[in-house]
Amino acid sequence: MELSLAVEKRFGTFTLAADVTVRGEQVGIFGVSGSGKSTLVSMLAGLVDPDCGEIVLNGECLFSTQRRINVRPEKRRIAMVFQQHSLFSHLNVMDNLLYGFKRCRPEHRRIDVDELIRVLNLAQFLDRDMRHLSGGEKQRVALGRALLANPRLLLMDEPLSALDDSLRFQIIPYLKSVSEQFHIPYLFISHSLVEMRLMTDTVLAFAHGRMVEQTSSEQLARNRMDTSPVGYINLLRLGLPVSVADLYAYPWGDSQLLISAASDRPESMVELSSKDIILFKQHPEAISARNLLRCNVRSLFTSGRKVGIELDCAGNTLIAEVVQDAVNELGITPGTTVYAAVKASAFRMLPG
Amino acid sequence: MFLSESDSQSLWLTIRLAFAVTAILLFVGTPIAWWLARTRSRFKGPLGAVVALPLVLPPSVLGFYLLLAMGPQGPVGHLTRTFGMSALPFTFWGLVVASVFYSLPFMVQPLQNAFESIGDHPLEVAATLGASRLDAFFTVALPLARPGFLTASIMTFAHTVGEFGVVLMIGGNIPGVSRVASVQIYDHVEALEYGQAHHMAAVLLAFSFLVLLALSVWRPTTLKTARRD
Repeated sequence: MELSLAVEKRFGTFTLAADVTVRGEQVGIFGVSGSGKSTLVSMLAGLVDPDCGEIVLNGECLFSTQRRINVRPEKRRIAMVFQQHSLFSHLNVMDNLLYGFKRCRPEHRRIDVDELIRVLNLAQFLDRDMRHLSGGEKQRVALGRALLANPRLLLMDEPLSALDDSLRFQIIPYLKSVSEQFHIPYLFISHSLVEMRLMTDTVLAFAHGRMVEQTSSEQLARNRMDTSPVGYINLLRLGLPVSVADLYAYPWGDSQLLISAASDRPESMVELSSKDIILFKQHPEAISARNLLRCNVRSLFTSGRKVGIELDCAGNTLIAEVVQDAVNELGITPGTTVYAAVKASAFRMLPG
Repeated sequence: MFLSESDSQSLWLTIRLAFAVTAILLFVGTPIAWWLARTRSRFKGPLGAVVALPLVLPPSVLGFYLLLAMGPQGPVGHLTRTFGMSALPFTFWGLVVASVFYSLPFMVQPLQNAFESIGDHPLEVAATLGASRLDAFFTVALPLARPGFLTASIMTFAHTVGEFGVVLMIGGNIPGVSRVASVQIYDHVEALEYGQAHHMAAVLLAFSFLVLLALSVWRPTTLKTARRD
């Protein structure tokens, strides 16, 4: 997908101005509430008209004040998944799923309905009324409905923000794998750095109606480490644990981590904040933290007043954050060996 | 028998009139209500006021102007003459036209409320799924406004059944043609036939009560359903 935007929209004292060209299949739009990201996607979908400018998707002009082009939303083939599921309450699951599919020209139909129903695990709900579905099921139906419209671009406007953590991490694999499987590029809008990293490669960051950064989702999380209240979130994929005394030992690459939370899944995802890692120059003599990892410093980066340390822990990567004084005191430079201490309770198991 | 032949005839006429008016207003009132619910035009206020006029206007005033308009010298009278039709006053279809005007707000206002409560969002969703405006209207707006249609139809039907002033002005009192139930009761009272007036009045009272009961029983259910959505 190649998307060029050069638009301006004024709402009272707020002005949204974007001038960007982005290429990629999984693009994120990041920003706090009120930064203009939802307005931007509404303009892309044709639901809001820019005051001036141009929108070009894959070489086709969708909007241009200069050339007096404004392709109607139903002709753009840009589907949306909204914050609230926005399903049609007068239709059952199957009729909701097929709403866009029936209106899609046969030559554009690439997605097999039965296959999508299987992938989204919706087969047992097809006759159900919308009122009898959970939040996660509704959002899966909304995703399926948007995909079955066979769009050339899928817009997802904070589709997970109305869900609790458990549902959110259940839905993410569906969102990502389904669009990958059916080759549908998407724009994913969120104010969550973790969601950005799980869902996107390239990110456009917005603030106060302006695009302030175009970068990778990983780089964005590092850049925002200082301003984020939880620092940088390390996302670790761990294997099936074994019980060790009061804790659980999880395989982590060639190493293992002791964590207080149990899991019966063959693969678990856990979060670890960069703030919860303490670095030692030498092996401490005695320490209460149950995880002491010997690591090599791979690189350092700054984020505001904080310094991020990228650590290589037996082939695994961890990001720790310290202040500049600590870097100086410990003499941390790339290649230095340090010991990273992490309490067993510092890990947060992601539901899934 | 509970009702005399002329009573039954006037009741049957009233029911035919109410069905005809409700059916016509469903077609006429729906686009007006849709426009009022969606427009940002400066004409929204004046048109809304015109639609609501029958709520506050004395029926005799509305009936008088309609009589002038439909009379031989009026614009509608001219039109009917041009097409070789007889004048509308004192005919069944004259009653229908007058009742359509008189019951207009009872159809338009519940529909307008229903369309407004749907909002823009479901229609925007439909548009992103490839539905044209007309398609979205028929496949999303109309089904979602179904409770509004039911309320509007019941209110319009019931209001037409209860009309008196306008029908008397336009239809007069011709048995089998324009003598509706309310006029029949008036006739009975004029002739001091209180027994027959009681019977007719009881039928209309029971009908009105049942309509209101149906609305009050049915409305909370639909509202609860809407809230769950």
